Amino acid sequence: MPETLTLVKPHCYHCGEECLTTAYETDQKQFCCQGCQSVYTILSGAGFCSYYTYNDHPGTTRLRNDKKYDYLSDPTILAELLDYTDERLSIITLYIPHIHCSSCLWLLEQLNRFNPAIAYSRVDFLKKQLIVRFDPKGINLQQLVELLNDIGYEPLISLQDIIKKQNKEVKSNLVQKIAVAGFCFGNVMLLSFPEYFGLSAFEQNFKTFFGYLNILFGIPVVFYSGWGYFVSAWHNIRNKILNIDFPLALGIAVLFIRTVVEILTHSGAGFADTLCGLVFFLLVGKFVQQKTYHHISFERDYRSFFPVAVQVIAEGKEKPVPLAELKTGHRMVIRHNEIIPADAMLLQGEALIDFSFVTGEAVPVNRTLGEIIYAGGRQTGEAIELEVVKPVSQSYLTQLWNNEAFTRKQDTRMKTFNETVSKYFTIVLVAIAVGALLVWLPFNYRRGIDAFTAVLIVACPCALALSTPFTMSAALSIFDRNFFYLKNTAVVEQLARINTLVMDKTGTITTGGSKSIGLDAELNAEQRQLIFSACTNSIHPLSRMICKYLGDLIKLPVTGYREIPGKGITANVNGHQVRVGNDEMIFGEVKEGNNLTRVHLMIDDAYLGYFGFQHEYRAGLETVTGLSPAYELYLLSGDQDHERAELLRFFPDNAHLFFNQSPQQKLDHISQLQQKGLKVMMLGDGLNDSGALKQSDLGVAVTDNVNNFSPGSDAIMDGRAFNKLPAFLRFSKDTVKIIHISFLISLTYNLIGLSYAVTGTLSPLIAAVLMPLSTATIISFTTLATHFAAKRRKLL
Amino acid sequence: MQPEKFYYDNKIVRNFGIATVIWGIIGMTVGLIAAIQLYHPGANMHNQFTTFGRIRPLHTNAVIFAFVGNAIFMGVYYSLQRLLKARMFSDILSNIHFWGWQLIILSAVITLPLGYTTSHEYAELEWPIDIAITIIWVVFGWNMFGTIFKRRERHLYVAIWFYIATFVTIAVLHIVNSFELPVSAFKSYMVYAGVQDALVQWWYGHNAVAFFLTTPYLGMMYYFLPKMANRPIYSYKLSILHFWALIFIYIWAGPHHLLYTTLPGWAQSLGVAFSIMLIAPSWGGMINGLLTLRGAWDKVRDDVILKFMVVGLTGYGMATFEGPMLSLKQINSIAHFSDWIVAHVHVGALAWNGFLTFAILYWLIPRIYKTELYSKKLAAFHFWIGTLGIIFYAVPMYWAGFTQSLMLKEFTAEGMLKYPNFLETTLRILPMHVMRSVGGGIYLLGVIAMAFNLVKTAKQGSLVANEAAQAMPLEPVHTLAKESAWHRRLERRPIQFMVLSLIVILIGSVIELMPTLTISSNIPTIASVKPYTPLELQGRDIYIKEGCSNCHSQTVRPFRSETERYGEYSKAGEFVYDHPFLWGSKRTGPDLAREGGKYGNAWHYNHLMDPRLMSPGSIMPEYGWLLTQKLDTTTTAAKIRAMQTLGVPYPKGYDKIANAELDKQAKAISDNLYIDHIKVKKDKEIVAIIAYLQRLGTDIKANKTPSK
Amino acid sequence: MSIIYFLIGCSVFLALAFLIAFFWAQKSGQNDDLFTPGMRILLDDETKESPKND
Repeated sequence: MPETLTLVKPHCYHCGEECLTTAYETDQKQFCCQGCQSVYTILSGAGFCSYYTYNDHPGTTRLRNDKKYDYLSDPTILAELLDYTDERLSIITLYIPHIHCSSCLWLLEQLNRFNPAIAYSRVDFLKKQLIVRFDPKGINLQQLVELLNDIGYEPLISLQDIIKKQNKEVKSNLVQKIAVAGFCFGNVMLLSFPEYFGLSAFEQNFKTFFGYLNILFGIPVVFYSGWGYFVSAWHNIRNKILNIDFPLALGIAVLFIRTVVEILTHSGAGFADTLCGLVFFLLVGKFVQQKTYHHISFERDYRSFFPVAVQVIAEGKEKPVPLAELKTGHRMVIRHNEIIPADAMLLQGEALIDFSFVTGEAVPVNRTLGEIIYAGGRQTGEAIELEVVKPVSQSYLTQLWNNEAFTRKQDTRMKTFNETVSKYFTIVLVAIAVGALLVWLPFNYRRGIDAFTAVLIVACPCALALSTPFTMSAALSIFDRNFFYLKNTAVVEQLARINTLVMDKTGTITTGGSKSIGLDAELNAEQRQLIFSACTNSIHPLSRMICKYLGDLIKLPVTGYREIPGKGITANVNGHQVRVGNDEMIFGEVKEGNNLTRVHLMIDDAYLGYFGFQHEYRAGLETVTGLSPAYELYLLSGDQDHERAELLRFFPDNAHLFFNQSPQQKLDHISQLQQKGLKVMMLGDGLNDSGALKQSDLGVAVTDNVNNFSPGSDAIMDGRAFNKLPAFLRFSKDTVKIIHISFLISLTYNLIGLSYAVTGTLSPLIAAVLMPLSTATIISFTTLATHFAAKRRKLL
Repeated sequence: MQPEKFYYDNKIVRNFGIATVIWGIIGMTVGLIAAIQLYHPGANMHNQFTTFGRIRPLHTNAVIFAFVGNAIFMGVYYSLQRLLKARMFSDILSNIHFWGWQLIILSAVITLPLGYTTSHEYAELEWPIDIAITIIWVVFGWNMFGTIFKRRERHLYVAIWFYIATFVTIAVLHIVNSFELPVSAFKSYMVYAGVQDALVQWWYGHNAVAFFLTTPYLGMMYYFLPKMANRPIYSYKLSILHFWALIFIYIWAGPHHLLYTTLPGWAQSLGVAFSIMLIAPSWGGMINGLLTLRGAWDKVRDDVILKFMVVGLTGYGMATFEGPMLSLKQINSIAHFSDWIVAHVHVGALAWNGFLTFAILYWLIPRIYKTELYSKKLAAFHFWIGTLGIIFYAVPMYWAGFTQSLMLKEFTAEGMLKYPNFLETTLRILPMHVMRSVGGGIYLLGVIAMAFNLVKTAKQGSLVANEAAQAMPLEPVHTLAKESAWHRRLERRPIQFMVLSLIVILIGSVIELMPTLTISSNIPTIASVKPYTPLELQGRDIYIKEGCSNCHSQTVRPFRSETERYGEYSKAGEFVYDHPFLWGSKRTGPDLAREGGKYGNAWHYNHLMDPRLMSPGSIMPEYGWLLTQKLDTTTTAAKIRAMQTLGVPYPKGYDKIANAELDKQAKAISDNLYIDHIKVKKDKEIVAIIAYLQRLGTDIKANKTPSK
Repeated sequence: MSIIYFLIGCSVFLALAFLIAFFWAQKSGQNDDLFTPGMRILLDDETKESPKND
């Protein structure tokens, strides 16, 4: 290997990461690790080199460990996972987060080249899904998944795979309904225009012909496309609810009946075009409202992250056991990067557990033999053996899911503006209609009926029904652009009503890796070893970081180890007195000032210097906390209150900082606030926050990678967007304002229409002009206004 | 399971490619000759077969159906195979399609100069060729749907939808517009008459533009542009939406070609309304195309192929925006019948169809020949000279259009026409016509350069006639048992779809018979309007044969400027016996709807012999051959009978005495000419055409005092 | 102008044909994934003996 190449620090040909060593090399190509190299050899072996031609470094770094997928041979699990199977064909849909470029597409759709038993493999890029049809006799699921893992596309398999569920859902035929409505709308316009453009006297036979055709086109619009409105209106009436669907259904019905009557009795041209237009626009509004993120799931709970099965040792043999069947007393084996699914006692091995997705704390912590390890931790390092002490369902974290907060229905959420307003709207509307009828009835019943129907037609709250969906979907895409993903449009309105913010600490307001460490002291090898040995005993995050910083040294025997909470540790190592702690402990007085935490080092009463810890709170935390007093701010942290001092710089009110909060406590805390009538928004990241997230009026999961873990929530926020939170809140308020204004606009249109209607002199032309005009106004207004508001809030 | 091995048929693609280039050069050359005749009539080489009236249709047919047509098939045959991961359904069908289509064009090249024409614009070919077109088109459809049926890729890429739409719609349009009643092997009369014929013609005419020049090219754009730029289309969703929107709106924009004619007002407005609606879906395509290149403009800078695409798309955008604007009545009243329309059409044709075709050729030929393009420099030269050509063509024509129509509409303070003599306005715009032909010339030069470049490219490479490929066979969708049956039926849907479209055509042709029954229903009939005499009828057919309607309209619009110039504006009832209608779409010369009786027979005789005798500077060709050629009266009886079947009220058995009548009238005219010392035998064609010209518009004058 | 009946007939039938086509497309899942196909066409299916890496 020529020196020059090592000097330029080559990048891995497969994944593009910088190669620290030149040890891995094939065909004069550098690789960062064994994994990438083996992927390359596999690919080039199968003549797949053009995998690398479509994009540079399309791959991903990966580490393989055996037995990981043994459970995929377990029949009960297979049954759970496969979409379809018979003796000669199995179909499975796999979620593969790594899918990211056309090379992935190209490679994954040619799995057949690796194994002819794979008949067909197809990628859905947005959903990051791979559908595979394979012959179970030729290759079983385990081998398939291992193959994928080998070529660097590890599927994320879990029993509760929401994303999979999403497309299992029955396809709503909304699109077809829109198509039909649109088709009829177009043709009806074609047939109604002549009327408006004026048919000459000798062309009246066209008029009737067109009229009949109009009725023909109207029928599918009412009875297919628009039918949903009648159904929901009926349901709501049955449950004593007056929602917007009622006036809509009424409008549609009246339009149709009057059209039919007028045409059949040759008393007019009818309102077919208004009818079709109305239904068409309404459905489009519906369509716009249902925005879905393919790559994000808001419904995840622990089951989506715990393994499908674990290796259990029975009669000295390992065999995979599905999680559900995991019982207390089972002895399970957890390997590197595997998650501990149930509270268990460590029986064997060096446990170095990463609780990052429970607490957000990234630094792994040691556990000593015999200690209880809570479910959700991820073992790093060698394989360990544990004995299950609680079944999955009763484990410390998972018991949360027995809480009523999770059984609670969504409809206890606050009512949207639309719901509240449409009730009164309907009442008024019907009142006016009946009023008009009664006024005319005495002198001219025909006119009365005209007026009655006309009112129901022009006042049909089409524009009103459209204002919310269009505004909200516009807002949604604005948030979307700023890495803030809302579950649905309703959440925007909830966001506007929030007046209390509750935040988790680690991982939420601090970034995953938390702190950066710097050593301000000259230490020789021995001193290093002494300090390391002392600190390994502590589970305090700072000690953990010191150990990590000092690297893997041999641990010397420690005696007289003492940890003074909130101060530091003293220990006797190899007959040396080691003291590691803060100012108070070392100098007996606090001289904190800047946000640099110092941990001083003393060996045998000789002061050596200190470790400096720079806290890495998320950028813009001060802007977020600046929301107070407008918003009430709370902090609920699962950790000790080491950082209270620093946090106080951000959070004005000491009484609002709570530490050592168990998941259950967090949840209870939220509900207490709610009982005080506060509208609470919870920002959390870990599994231990999920209870609180669920309980809150608006749970926001903060994460640094939307494809990774995020607990069930109403919204998912990318860490990068955290500092924009204030802007988001203001913007949401703007959107609600916009809705109110557009409501007024639509009202004015209704009033104009009514002025014609009540006198019973509504020509089809006026209706045909008013309806689309109001709709167009609303759509353009909401879209533009939202855009403008976003610009004002610097979100565009 | 093993992937299936198969081969893409590149040979057929190559063949269509060659045809594209050859016919392109021919069609454009013919266009150039025609353009030159518009300022130098002598350029017809004093030969009836190369005179403007006959070769203008040849030009349009050659560039639309030969150049663009072959280009479409080239693009479709290349992309369809790859998009469906399957060879074309049948090589035999492919070849029948190829050779059949070339034969059709060849027959057009022969018949049109000979004067065999239906006079329906873009559908001039006579009935036997129409039938041939139908057959070959079905072959094409069969081949395409067959391929779709045996495809290995389940998803039909948006391009394919555009191809399907093209096939189905063109099939219907062609059939509807080709309902002719044959009189002889190469002569037929349109079934519909006057206004109705006009409506059908432009319903077809507009949609031919829509579905022959637009949808297939959009389809090809959606396949080739991403390939050329090696990046996916900006928004695939938008492309799908764009397709369905376009399909549902396009069909009804036709009537905007007939604004201010005697077509019912509401039908005109309908055309306008739908034309306006068209902007959105049309631009959807352009925006999607251009945004695909967003972030890749550096690529565009040094890739000539992408340059062609960009200009092409821009041209498309301009044309599809200008079109709806032109359909607005106010603008239309100026633009219609003028050179403006010619400019509009050519922006679309030269930029959109032309440049896209060139880009595809430059991209595709090297690929199927497994080599590099012979000279990138030459291609760049083609691009620049081509763009220059478009500018030199369009700008003068817009200019000419404005100038002439404004002059024609100008009144003096006294309220008299400022330019009562039409010829004045013509002379004013001749310089622009010269520049136009220059523009067209250099555009053609570019095409020749391309031809050379491509030939060299082909020479240095070798054709991969059958390109190997492999893909998994398509498997039925597996779902719940009862559903899967439903799905398997769905798999056969492409065929069903084809069958369905054929049914559509069938039903269409059934309803077709209706208008023949109610020939002039609810058109206000005018008592004084009588059928043409046999001589006039023969004269009218000479008028058609010589393609007079290419330069002379026959409909006076209700503007003062026109009623002053030509006389009483046209009424629907005047055209009830016009099979086909001869309203025309361009006024290179004055309108002839009220020509009858304006001048004496002698004037017409001399004017046709040498227009410059009567009106110095005129650019009308000399029709010397009309003086010498003998009128073929053998067809008279058949023609009368044909007209009778079409509902023209000739008395029973009139066909027997028709020729006697004809002689009588002919003699009268030749005698009248003799008074002016013009000796001409009564059996010459000139006599017949004079008779027809003298008849034009006189029916109404007869019972009305000419409006002045 | 009875020709109008006929032309409307044709137009409506055409539109209907396309509507049915749309329904087929929707039902048979043609429009389920409106993203990946756009990328898929960029990838050429190579064969073992003639790999064309372009």
